[in-house]
Amino acid sequence: MKRIMYLLGEALSGMRANRTSMMIGVVTTAFTITSFGVFALLYVNLKNMVGEVQDDVQFIVYLDEDLAHDRSQAIKKQLQSESAVASLFGTTQKAALEDFYQQFPSESLLLETLDENPLPASLTVTVRPGFQAPDTISAFVANVKALEGVQYIRYSQEWIDTLSLFVRYFELVALVIGCILALATVTIIANVIRLSFHARREEIEILRLIGAPSHFIAIPYLVEGSLLGMLGGGISLVLLKGGFEFFRLEFNGSGWFHGIDSTLIFFSIQEAVLLVIGGLVLGCGSSLFSVYGVMKSR
Amino acid sequence: MIQLFHVSKCYGRCAALNDVTLRIDKGDCVLLTGPSGAGKTTLLKLIFGAEFPDEGQILVQNRNVARLRASDIPYLRRTMGFVLQDFKLLPHKTVFNNVALPLIIQGASTFDTNRKVKEVLAAVGLGHKYSALTGGLSAGEQQRVCIARALVNTPMILLADEPTGNLDAHLTEEITELFQSIHARGTTVMLATHNNQVVEQMKGRIVQLHSGRVLSDQEGQV
Repeated sequence: MKRIMYLLGEALSGMRANRTSMMIGVVTTAFTITSFGVFALLYVNLKNMVGEVQDDVQFIVYLDEDLAHDRSQAIKKQLQSESAVASLFGTTQKAALEDFYQQFPSESLLLETLDENPLPASLTVTVRPGFQAPDTISAFVANVKALEGVQYIRYSQEWIDTLSLFVRYFELVALVIGCILALATVTIIANVIRLSFHARREEIEILRLIGAPSHFIAIPYLVEGSLLGMLGGGISLVLLKGGFEFFRLEFNGSGWFHGIDSTLIFFSIQEAVLLVIGGLVLGCGSSLFSVYGVMKSR
Repeated sequence: MIQLFHVSKCYGRCAALNDVTLRIDKGDCVLLTGPSGAGKTTLLKLIFGAEFPDEGQILVQNRNVARLRASDIPYLRRTMGFVLQDFKLLPHKTVFNNVALPLIIQGASTFDTNRKVKEVLAAVGLGHKYSALTGGLSAGEQQRVCIARALVNTPMILLADEPTGNLDAHLTEEITELFQSIHARGTTVMLATHNNQVVEQMKGRIVQLHSGRVLSDQEGQV
């Protein structure tokens, strides 16, 4: 117990003794982790958006203009019986026109000049989650398209695929940037610990003299580095949360982001804890890197 | 207790020790003498495992120091005490904490640590100063703290490198008396000095070194 208290005490007194370099280390680590956190947050939100879009895969089946009511009902029934269809919503020509007037009141004159309603009746099909793989949907859409009375199908899978690809690339970019920032963090913390180490080299010499094994000498520095990394991670979390809330407050309802800002999410508790633990692990690793030479020497 | 067989050690081209063979038995009191650069400190460092010999073998309590792994050296050092001319104390820590350090490293209990530190501080005459910071002590007191730290885990061997080098004649006499009492309790003492006062007062076996060689090895007059 006395040993543990001694090692913890040494770590804390080391931090106190080198508080300026420690502060610089904590602040730079916090900013580095924050930079990474911004990317991680963007990634989490993009992934969330893609997930939401993918969960709601829909396509719209436009029917022939002069299609008999019986045939349109038959198509509707056939689609409803398909296992890939989660739900189906029919829109008559009249309803489509009313929707148009509601959504685009300023453009209503365009249609009023026409004698006939040019908008076709449609069926909006929501695909069941198990059938949302791109190949499955493509095959299903091709089958529906071949049905008699179907004029055209509007299908949004292409841009979903593009978005998924973008997220995958973004993931890769975030990983590369994360690695570079992690390396920067390791370098910063390793240098802070090295400074602390040099400031206490006489003390280390004394410890060696009285039979302290390498791990006993190294532990306070590992604790210092871990605390430094954890503090950096904690501060970065606060900065990220503050920045996130500020962004939401400033831009919520402004319409600049077409309502996307209302769907933004922050890290989950687990992800937030992981960010702080990440800082701790980076700090501990950096210290280990710094004191490795000492562990080997006599 | 300690045996050296044809030990040589060079620093670059300079031979610090040259073919030294020496045997020190349990309970011996050996005074290493000789001018500066004779090899006294190097000899102690080799026994202590702070240096490796270039040639020869060193046995300390039947363990070959030359063949010990770096990770085993701390455990060898725990069986010895080491006193230096420049004390090597932690000035921002109290006397108690400085002396307790070897016991904390070994993982001794709080009760044992308190008891042993108080005992050893009383033995070196510093029982009343255990809460003082070592940075504020006199040179003689600092050397006593250093000796207390070397003795706190009751080592079999006490090595001292010019322990009176920074002290005046009166303090030298006091510290030498302390070494005499430690030796009288059965501890093997090996003391490097070029101070004649110490040599005369200690009355131990005198090993004289010169240019890295043993010039003479004779029992002191009791």
